[in-house]
Amino acid sequence: MNAPAYQEEQMKPEYKMSSENLDFYYGDFKALHGVSMDFKPREVTALIGPSGCGKSTYLRCLNRMNDLIPISRVEGKVTLDGEDIYAPSLDVVMLRRKVGMVFQKPNPFPKTIFDNVAYGLWVNGIKDKAFVQERVEESLKQAAIWDEVKDRLQDTALGLSGGQQQRLCIARALAVKPEVVLMDEPASALDPIATQKIEELIHELKETYTIIIVTHNMQQAARVSDVTAFFYVGKLIEVGDTDTIFTRPKKKQTEDYITGRFG
Amino acid sequence: MRTERLVQRLLGLAAGCSVAVTLLIFGFMVILGLPLATGGTFFRMFTSAWLPHQGVYGIAPMVAGTLSIASLAVVFSVPVSLGCAALISVLGSGPLPALLHRLVRFMTGIPTVVYGFAGIFLLVPLVREWAGRGSGMCILSAALLLGVLIAPTMILFFSDSFASVPRTYLEAAEALGATPVQKLLHVVIPCSWRGLTSGVVLALGRAVGDTLIALMIAGNATAMPGSVLEPARTLTAHIALVVAADFDSLEFRTLFACGIILYLCTTVMVIFTRRIGAAWEQQRW
Ligand SMILES: Nc1ncnc2c1ncn2[C@@H]1O[C@H](COP(=O)(O)OP(=O)(O)O)[C@@H](O)[C@H]1O
Ligand SMILES: [Mg+2]
Repeated sequence: MNAPAYQEEQMKPEYKMSSENLDFYYGDFKALHGVSMDFKPREVTALIGPSGCGKSTYLRCLNRMNDLIPISRVEGKVTLDGEDIYAPSLDVVMLRRKVGMVFQKPNPFPKTIFDNVAYGLWVNGIKDKAFVQERVEESLKQAAIWDEVKDRLQDTALGLSGGQQQRLCIARALAVKPEVVLMDEPASALDPIATQKIEELIHELKETYTIIIVTHNMQQAARVSDVTAFFYVGKLIEVGDTDTIFTRPKKKQTEDYITGRFG
Repeated sequence: MRTERLVQRLLGLAAGCSVAVTLLIFGFMVILGLPLATGGTFFRMFTSAWLPHQGVYGIAPMVAGTLSIASLAVVFSVPVSLGCAALISVLGSGPLPALLHRLVRFMTGIPTVVYGFAGIFLLVPLVREWAGRGSGMCILSAALLLGVLIAPTMILFFSDSFASVPRTYLEAAEALGATPVQKLLHVVIPCSWRGLTSGVVLALGRAVGDTLIALMIAGNATAMPGSVLEPARTLTAHIALVVAADFDSLEFRTLFACGIILYLCTTVMVIFTRRIGAAWEQQRW
């Protein structure tokens, strides 16, 4: 954001986020081994790999959600616009405002639909009613759920279907105008139609946001992403254009995985 | 299968027993207190003063004493307990939460009389000095000490219900950039209304039912208290004091009225707060 110019030059300005040699430990267990990867602005990157290979762990390193885990440890570097997000001087609250997150299971608060979307604005100190109203509507429209909920904004969010709840959670994340949106298997708990809606939504959001999505569904990765990264037991095995990864992978492990020989 | 049914029966029996005992006690108090009602003194008792030498046995001052001491104690104790519970389950980091938790659990085990004793030597002189009059044995002292006494119960209840707030809500708030305090105010507390109300009822029940602190600290005056700096006598302390002196007189009989009041108080409180808790839960937060 406010990184000095010389730093921008050094830190590959064409990338929105980068990680360099990122290691992550849960206590003694090393869950990530030297992951280096770059994310271009307004691109969708899919993280794929068998379950337990560290996709979620990696994703959560990108907005420091792992800070909550008591005995965890991060080594290496993650940057957002060239700024080290693990620097002691960094404001985690500001970071999370710029790097939003959507979780695997839809997790709306047991509040009204309106309050759910407005929540992020309130915690960021925005109180102007008209502004909040406007932003809530805008976010719900962006998340392609406005038409379904516009007549019942004051109803509880828990009355929505799973797919609607997930789109509401996306609207909630978008309301604070993040720059990067992290999604951890956002459609895995949803039925095919809801999944399709989420995928279409990702296509539209790509115009504005940098999106990093974890998925265990390879067709989904192929459909929604520009870049695909294959993880295996805590290591980034291969990353490249989605077309290339799915048609001409360089590594044997990647090929085995995408052709369904393991995982 | 057979043992299961046996266990079920035993548990049913135990539950039945406890219900029966509660009802029996109530019946016992009503029957023994009945002569008062027929004598016409029963209702006067609730409004008049306690003047045994003139044959007037009103318990209005004691009702006032109980209500003021118990409610003040809860008023003092709730914010402190909320803060402590928040430190234990949401805000604290490092070894502090675990230490605090252990300390609070330890506090629940300290006998009440120790609190009373400490209160007489530490709290009462302080209040006396601050007030600049009286003996320091007054409603305020008793309420403060009682607040300390009931805090651990509340803290444990609160922190348990804080800890049971779904992680997914916390993560969602965190991911939106909520600070720990915002998480506490906007997510944790609204999600734990049921636990919070139960904690407060329990503590209020303890405050109303406590005898020793009031007996030792509140001054036991039978006059209607005019301010929190004046001594007062609670219903429970009154029962203890009169029982110690006397066994079969009209004076003694009035104790059953005290018992009935305490009994009803607790019942009403429990029902009331259950209602409130349920209503809160249904409302959006
Ligand atoms: N909170 C945690 N504590 C300890 N180990 C964890 C924790 N979360 C995940 N792990 C471990 O880290 C590894 C990677 O997990 P995760 O990132 O969730 O994988 P994925 O999302 O690819 O399925 C797994 O072996 C998992 O058991
Ligand atoms: Mg995962």
